This record gives sequence, C-alpha cells and structure tokens, in this order.
Amino acid sequence: MTHLWDRLAEAKSRLEPVQSKYRVVFEDPATPDEPAKVLVPDPNWLACALEGNILPPIDTYQRDRNVEDGQPKEHPYAKPIGPMTEEEAIEYLIMKDIDPSIWRDYNGNRIIMKIVPVELIPSDRSFRNAWKINQEADERIAA
Amino acid sequence: MSTLNVSNITDGTTTVGTSYVVNGSAKAWFQIIQDTSHTIEGSFNVASITDGGAGETSVTFTNAMANNDWSGVLTAQSSNNRRAVNNAPNTTRIKVEVYQVASNTSAIDASGGVSGQVHGDLA
Repeated sequence: MTHLWDRLAEAKSRLEPVQSKYRVVFEDPATPDEPAKVLVPDPNWLACALEGNILPPIDTYQRDRNVEDGQPKEHPYAKPIGPMTEEEAIEYLIMKDIDPSIWRDYNGNRIIMKIVPVELIPSDRSFRNAWKINQEADERIAA
Repeated sequence: MSTLNVSNITDGTTTVGTSYVVNGSAKAWFQIIQDTSHTIEGSFNVASITDGGAGETSVTFTNAMANNDWSGVLTAQSSNNRRAVNNAPNTTRIKVEVYQVASNTSAIDASGGVSGQVHGDLA
C-alpha cells in the first residue's frame, strides 16, 4: 500500500485546492474561560477528501490516538476510502482534529460546537479573545 | 504511480545519496493568514488549522509525525515586529503563537501571516 504522504504528494500535483464553505466553531468545556475556537479545513486536504482513494478511514486516526510516540501508527498505511461529500468531509475532520471530549463525550446543556457557513464568522477580530458561541437560536454564531 | 529506485542522485559533478534528499525534505509546510479571514494560503500535509484566539493557530497534519522530536521552523510575516513560537508540539500538530518582538505577555495576530515548515520522521 502506498504511504499516505506519497499519496498526498501525488494528489497535490494533480488536484486543485477546494475552499470549504463551512467552519466548525467549538468551545472546550475543560477551559471555559478561553474564547471559542474555529476549525478551518485545508483546501488541499478537502480536495483529497472529495477525490477519494487518498485519505485513510477515520477510525485509523481514532485508534492512533492511543498509540505511543515512536510506535507504528495505522493511518499512513491503511487502505484509503472512497470520495466524500463536503459535508461528510467536515464530519470526518471533526472526528479527526477535535478532541472527542467536545464532539462525543460532552453531556452538558450548553451548545459547545456548531458547523456554520463561513460567512457567519466575524471578519472583525478586534475582540477575538471574547468570542463565545451564541446560545440563542438565530443566525449569529459569535459576538 | 511508478517508482524510481535509486540510491544516489548526481548533477554530473556532485553526487548525493537519495536518503539525504528524502530525510531533508520538509514533511509539512504552510502559510496562513491570521488577522482577517484566518485562511490557509498554501500548504502540504495539512488537514486543518484551528483559530484558537488572537495570534494562536494550531496546524494539524494529515500524516502524523513518528514522534514529537521533529523540527518546526516558523516565520511571522509582519511589518509590525512579530515573532512566531512553536508551543506544545506533538505528533499530530504544530501550535503557532505570535507575539510582539521582545514581549511574551499575550499573543497577537501577525498582520502579514505566518509560514512554517516541519522536518522529521513521518509516522
């Protein structure tokens, strides 16, 4: 099986980057005083996700979280999965790059994660460190 | 995809072992904008970035590194005297924090963006 890094290098020479129309806004319940964070998909990564046969199954990344440093990891050598839709790619990225304590294990009654259109992220970063997820059910997601 | 299996590369004058080229190649690189849209201008082996607040960006790899002994080189591309620091790296990401030069009190966005590259052993 071709190593993941080699597949990424080959894909970069062939695929055009794809800007995602989504962002994932999340807060870490373990650090409630920190501002909301915003996950931004990489355009080259998204192109690979949409193309298929490049990225490994998401469960390989999840198992590799428990692999000690220096020990062989599963995801670089796993058989790649097929093409995804952009929405499936965002869900994949959440499970890969956001701690499970936020998207899987949280049982509180506060909204701590939202997938939003990129247009709803404020462009004015003057008060960036005060951003919190808007708990109201309207279009604004942070203030 | 085909494979060219060679142990040395030469320009006709100088010869170098292929392992030097492979081990010396950056395993990941990126250029990101922090202060407006927080986007990725260019990259390789990056799955996502996380805007963690003013001047703070975590860059997560697609293919992880084998251990946290890799080398990360960062540059804050700013006309406002910024410096970029690699904070709390692990096998899956590099966490970039940008500060005013000669100050480490609180992170602040780099007005011209941040670029970086990672060298080391891949998982």
